[in-house]
Amino acid sequence: MNRLQKSAWFNIVVVTVAFPICSACVFLLARTNAKGIDYLIIFLVFGSLTGLGGYLLLRKKGFEAHFDEREKMIYNRALVWAMIALLAFLCCVCIIPFFVLGGGNSVRVLYLPVICLSTLLVGQLVHSAAVLIQCSLEAEDEQ
Amino acid sequence: MSNNRITNQIRRLRFDNGEMTQQQLADKVGVTRQTIIAIEAGKYAPSLPLAFRIARVFGVGVEEVFQYEDEDSQA
Repeated sequence: MNRLQKSAWFNIVVVTVAFPICSACVFLLARTNAKGIDYLIIFLVFGSLTGLGGYLLLRKKGFEAHFDEREKMIYNRALVWAMIALLAFLCCVCIIPFFVLGGGNSVRVLYLPVICLSTLLVGQLVHSAAVLIQCSLEAEDEQ
Repeated sequence: MSNNRITNQIRRLRFDNGEMTQQQLADKVGVTRQTIIAIEAGKYAPSLPLAFRIARVFGVGVEEVFQYEDEDSQA
């Protein structure tokens, strides 16, 4: 298993297991109005923003820099699929409720971060899956 | 539209150079073994810098490692 596949598996685990569990925990704590939940949410928001900013700034120096040219090609091809999935998901989330609920309704601000985060997670999931599929198809050809 | 294809002699050159393994070649040119496998099988056309690095490992010219074929030139 090369670095590309390892990073894809890591992302899939984070997206499909760790993130939903953490989100459910935070949701339950918020629901029960646990002590210190406000501070935890503030910390999570700032932590996410700094983490995302740091990732975007430093990613060229990170694991992507160690990919070779073929891996970068696979990575970029998967990125195209991820962008398509991301846009399709965003369109579905925004347009379907518009037609189902009617044009007079508006999306509550509360749901916007959820929509945004879900879109990012779907994009990440499709990206990782596309990377793994391409790698496995190449592995099949080798046999 | 013409059907272009890049063939290569990497497998033969590896064996001519002390039965070099794919992993050894990959380490020397700075890519993964999967990339060497894909190039050898003709599934991936390497960039010019990588093609030159591969040729340099074998101590030959790029055209001795990679050959460009297209239907128009063969006809």
